[in-house]
Amino acid sequence: MTELTNTNEYLLSVQSIDTFIGQFHILEGVSVNVAKGSITVLLGRNGAGKTTTLKTVMGLTPPRDGKVIFDGQEIQGKRAFNIANLGIGYVPENRAIFRALTVLENLKLAERNKGDLERHADFIYDLFPDLERLSKLKGNQLSGGQQQMLAVARALVPENKLLLIDEPSEGLAPILIQQMMEAIRKLKDTTTILLVEQNFIMASQLAERYVIIDDGKSVHSGLMSDLVLNQELIHQYLGASIQAPISASEA
Amino acid sequence: MKHENKKILYIVIAILVIFGVLYGLYSYAGQEAFIRTTLSGLTLGSLFFLVAAGLTLIFGLMDVLNFAHGSMFMLGAYAGWQFYTNPTFIFGVLPLVLAFVAGIMVIPLIKPELVRLKLSDSWQKRLPKLLYLAGLIVGVLAVLKFDIAGLAETAMVAIVTTSTGALAELSPQEPLLRFMWRPVLLFISGALVAAGVSKPGDRAEITAPEPLKNRLVLPIILLVLTILFTFVRESASELVLLMNGNLRFALAVIVATLFGFLLGALIEITMIRPLYIRPFFIVLMTLGLSFVLRELVQVLWDPLAYQMVRPPLFAQPGRASTIAEWLANGSSTISIAGVTFPTYRLFVILLGVVMFIFVTLLMTKSRLGMIIRAGVQDPQMVEALGINVKRVFTIVFALGVALAALGGIGAAPFLPVQPMMGDQYQMQGFITVVIGGMGSYVGAFAGAMILGMARAFGDYFALKLQLSPTIAEASTVIIMIIVLLLRPQGLFGKKD
Repeated sequence: MTELTNTNEYLLSVQSIDTFIGQFHILEGVSVNVAKGSITVLLGRNGAGKTTTLKTVMGLTPPRDGKVIFDGQEIQGKRAFNIANLGIGYVPENRAIFRALTVLENLKLAERNKGDLERHADFIYDLFPDLERLSKLKGNQLSGGQQQMLAVARALVPENKLLLIDEPSEGLAPILIQQMMEAIRKLKDTTTILLVEQNFIMASQLAERYVIIDDGKSVHSGLMSDLVLNQELIHQYLGASIQAPISASEA
Repeated sequence: MKHENKKILYIVIAILVIFGVLYGLYSYAGQEAFIRTTLSGLTLGSLFFLVAAGLTLIFGLMDVLNFAHGSMFMLGAYAGWQFYTNPTFIFGVLPLVLAFVAGIMVIPLIKPELVRLKLSDSWQKRLPKLLYLAGLIVGVLAVLKFDIAGLAETAMVAIVTTSTGALAELSPQEPLLRFMWRPVLLFISGALVAAGVSKPGDRAEITAPEPLKNRLVLPIILLVLTILFTFVRESASELVLLMNGNLRFALAVIVATLFGFLLGALIEITMIRPLYIRPFFIVLMTLGLSFVLRELVQVLWDPLAYQMVRPPLFAQPGRASTIAEWLANGSSTISIAGVTFPTYRLFVILLGVVMFIFVTLLMTKSRLGMIIRAGVQDPQMVEALGINVKRVFTIVFALGVALAALGGIGAAPFLPVQPMMGDQYQMQGFITVVIGGMGSYVGAFAGAMILGMARAFGDYFALKLQLSPTIAEASTVIIMIIVLLLRPQGLFGKKD
């Protein structure tokens, strides 16, 4: 872990971005650095701007000000599909899988080059064995947990350097949360992850670094191992969200 | 699986109702009238489908109601009719269009250099406007004193091949030496506009450029085509007119469809794309566009109605008793179970069915279809997967317009070709889409066939019972009202 903090090589560097949605100033100077090969988690209350931060990186809500540097390249202002094609996979909140498409089609759609799915099929079905069994079902026939797995699996089809994962545990049963955590932990070996996670226990077990976002600003960042010991900080910015044990996060 | 059972029940009921209605009509009208009216209904239904398929695809994916769709149908008919009857106008204008497009297409070639220019902010804003202005001036110079009306008039004279193969006098065109500078200037004009579109000096637009070879391909192909068509302006129309009539008709269908595709792409990119954030403006814009296109056609070809001659395969007098006999003799009518029916209308039915199969395969089997089905639900997420959704929008719009144009040329041999010919089909197309369900191509097909039958049997009953013929037109609206009351989302529409 110390190695990571010493190398100054960030795969993704978000530098004081300002984002508006309509006329609402959602992000007012958010900075996030994500080191290569690490898991970084965005923490904060509901509505603090975590999801918007991911969307801004992805180009879905372009920033008015600030820089987003990915892999040594400025990407703010680029269109979302260009950004995705640089090697960023996006797993949105609320499992935005395509309901009218089968599981297999959902995965096929994510291919960037022909044969992407075949190349990674073993890896994907190894992480989420259910998906292979369900491949002919339509998206709207899946349970919530299966949809969430499909949403994550979809981001693994092409070769991605960075994954943006928004609330993977939201609305999942405890046993599925465990499975999801296992999957994300395995992903860490091959890619870099920027995570948004309300479930503090899950976040603290997965991530090496954290960034706290509060009211549209990034207010604190550091090593997860330090944060767990800093009850005061946790209480100040995360409040109720950490008191919830894993089982309570089941919707 | 309660849901599944319900679905099967509905299908069974639907089939029973369809057969019940058909049997009732059959026993009431008698075999002869029934077959004749059914075939007429299917002919109309095929044309309705070609119009409605585009409307429903475009609405389903982009929420755009294209009120210029009927005009596209009309333009398809004009394009095909002219290519078939006298392509002088098409070949006379083609080099100019190609030259301008070739100019526009240099964007990928010059953009990587232009965006790297170091310009002050004010020049970044001013330069594109100046370039557009310069492009406009050069463009106007290029077409100055170009006798487009005279060229358009040639279309009104059908040129008949004589037995010796000689052609009637083609109206003389501008000599090559005087014509030549027009494409040159138009290419420059296009390139100036392209430079403006490229946003010179805008560093945010800098991307890793593709290899030079790839960027050169398209402009060079277009330039070669421009030069080629500049030289064959006159001989090309002769060549086309000396062709076998059936082949010429097949080419006319392709030309009209291709023209629709390119026109659709052009309209989407230049006029609709800037308005996606203001959906209501799109309705007004397309409505206005339909008037502009109609007036333009009237200016060029007068508000007259033309009758396109049927291709030889459907034109010889006489009645064939089998399909083989028809194909061998090119009979204009065929006997189906004792009923005499025009062979060309059978071709239109075939066209509708083939296009339905094509659209079905496209939507279910191809990657584009997958993208469309996903994009209907969530275009943003499709984009986040690395797919250029804007380009998909353009393709779908172009495809929809191409289908309408195909309907237009399909209809041209038995409908009068005139500026208003698309209006009625657009209206029926919208009713079809409402009945079938917004965004569903299967619904569009079912709705189109229902409407076609309603129109045909409406006409039949009006005649038989001495009712006003408008009852046929009213019947489609009545069906729409009934469907809206019973199933507001349409027969095949999704609830959400």
